[in-house]
Amino acid sequence: MMKSPNRFLGSIWPRFYLNNDEHLNPYYTFQDYRQTWGMAIFILMTTALLPLIVMTLIYYQLIETSIDTESLLRTERATSNARRAVTFFLEERLAALTFTANEMGYDQLTNPGHLTEVLRNLKLGFGGLTDLSVIADSGTQVTYAGPFNLEGKDYSNQPWFMECQQHDACVSETFSGYRDVPHIVVAVKSTRPDGRLFVLRATLETERLIQTLSAYKTGEHADIFLVNRNGLLQTPSQFYEGESHHVDITLPTYSNRTKAVMSADRNGQPIVIGYAFIDTEIAPTSFILMVVKQKAGMMKVWLNLRSDINWFLVVSAVILAIVITLTSTFMVNKIFQADRQKAETMVMAEQNCQLASIGQLAAGVAHEINNPLALINETAGYVKDLFLIKAQYEDTELVEHIDSIIEAVDRCGTITRQLLGFARRFDVHTQPIDLKEMVADVISFHKKEAAYRNITIHMDIPETIPLIETDRGKLQQIILNLVNNAFQAIDDGCFLDIRAEMDGSERVRLFIRDNGCGISEDHLNKVFEPFFTTKKEGKGTGLGLSITYGLVKKLHGNITIQSKRGEGTTFEITLPIQCQKEV
Amino acid sequence: MKHFDILIVDDERRYADMLARRLALRGLIGKVCYDGQTAIDIVAQEHFPMVILDLRLPDMYGTEVLAKIKTCRPETAVIILTGHGTEKDRETCMAGGAHSFMNKPLNIDRLMAMMARIKERSS
Repeated sequence: MMKSPNRFLGSIWPRFYLNNDEHLNPYYTFQDYRQTWGMAIFILMTTALLPLIVMTLIYYQLIETSIDTESLLRTERATSNARRAVTFFLEERLAALTFTANEMGYDQLTNPGHLTEVLRNLKLGFGGLTDLSVIADSGTQVTYAGPFNLEGKDYSNQPWFMECQQHDACVSETFSGYRDVPHIVVAVKSTRPDGRLFVLRATLETERLIQTLSAYKTGEHADIFLVNRNGLLQTPSQFYEGESHHVDITLPTYSNRTKAVMSADRNGQPIVIGYAFIDTEIAPTSFILMVVKQKAGMMKVWLNLRSDINWFLVVSAVILAIVITLTSTFMVNKIFQADRQKAETMVMAEQNCQLASIGQLAAGVAHEINNPLALINETAGYVKDLFLIKAQYEDTELVEHIDSIIEAVDRCGTITRQLLGFARRFDVHTQPIDLKEMVADVISFHKKEAAYRNITIHMDIPETIPLIETDRGKLQQIILNLVNNAFQAIDDGCFLDIRAEMDGSERVRLFIRDNGCGISEDHLNKVFEPFFTTKKEGKGTGLGLSITYGLVKKLHGNITIQSKRGEGTTFEITLPIQCQKEV
Repeated sequence: MKHFDILIVDDERRYADMLARRLALRGLIGKVCYDGQTAIDIVAQEHFPMVILDLRLPDMYGTEVLAKIKTCRPETAVIILTGHGTEKDRETCMAGGAHSFMNKPLNIDRLMAMMARIKERSS
């Protein structure tokens, strides 16, 4: 069950990740393919994502700056409009009082019936007035018109009264007064016919003012209210009322113009505050008009858009990451495979080069040795002739010695021939070859070892096999390598079987079979790979079968292997009878 | 005029002499020469049934000598005896009309057998 996912992973997993052919390392273009892979992904990701992220951040910055500017402007405009309305509300009433005081005069106004009439007219004209009273310069209320009977009250200690004494008119802060109802007092000062001063005072309903203000409230996150200069709320605030009716946001510093600033509420949320210090032309007031808007509310549309952009960014980044990773992996893998092929070829070439140099050396040595060897042969032969043919001397023991010299020379001759044969392995030309003779030749190299190790060599090559038109050196090397291989695989007392048969009329099949240790299934498809060896380190190069494979392919042949662990191995070589000339 | 059975051409003087002596012991009278031009001259003047010819000669390559001998005396059997003959050499020589191609060190019995066959055929 576990094997199939592993196999799947193995097929998609980059090959360079499993690279463990250390012998190829000197020939690779890049030393560390994992690092190259990582770098490729990193560089591509950075170049792709960095501009995207930077552009997005700049865009955010621009949008937020423009939203801030816009919010300030809008808040300032709203504040300015509200300020005009509040100022007008107060000025209108102060002007009406001034007009009434000057027009009617003290005597008429102190007539209660008259005063009630005036109050009714003012209510009709402007509305928002609760009562009206005339106060003497001592602070005592002289006449009163309105719903409460407040005649005879002394206002001399009231702040608005004292302010009214100083200026011509005054507007009080919101207070509850004797009636315990929040109201604002507006009063104007005038002169009696006898030259003494009197004050005409009216009470304004704050409700009217609150209504006026709320007309300028825009949006559910906006708040509009009046405070005095100590922060005490004059009209109720929806969101910013703190302890004992004070606002819980920082009060702005005095300015004679309408302004808007950025600030933060008690929770640290960003807000925009528009403010204006209210002054009427007739009398100063202690009111500050405040318009407060939550920035979040104003940015809601933008925040939604930003969230969309963020999502888009994240999805793009993920897609980019996947595409880049897959592409990089694919490309680096391709490069790795090409590089690996190159490295293998180079290793092979180097090996061949080494073999070629060894071949040249061997040929040189063989040449130089062959001539003196021939001379020894003839000289020893002549001496023997003297004994046997001419019968000049007679010494059987000496003749035996001469025979051993001749035998030794013969052995040396075989060696030099083999060395020359090895050297000529690299020349490519075809010639007719008797397969049987060649196999016998190769087996003869191993005769001694076979005898010593008690290995039976059985050869069955029928006479019907025709001469093969192929390269002698290469075919010899192929058979030699396979026989060598078999000798290394089999134990003493085993057998080696070499058999040939025709495969149609154009091809010949050669089987080299041993009953040695065999090759496990895992290794079976790797045996022709260069440097694959199961021998101990330093014991085998792992090149033998790989070279053999290359040689068979050069001869336009094919080589396959069948093996069972413990039962033995069979190599099957198919060769064309007519090996075409190589290009 | 002395009658010779064989001409031995080899630049290795001691080898050629030794071979001539061994053949003499076996009843073959041989003449020895050590370079190609001399061999060609000798063959031109005199008939030899057999020539043993080395390939590496100081003045020319054995195949050249072979060609000249075969032009001049087509009936002469030329045995190539060389220390380092390649397959290509063998092919060239056989195509050039050599009787056989042998490698050094030599097995004298094989040579004698071959010569016996040549004699048999020519007689």
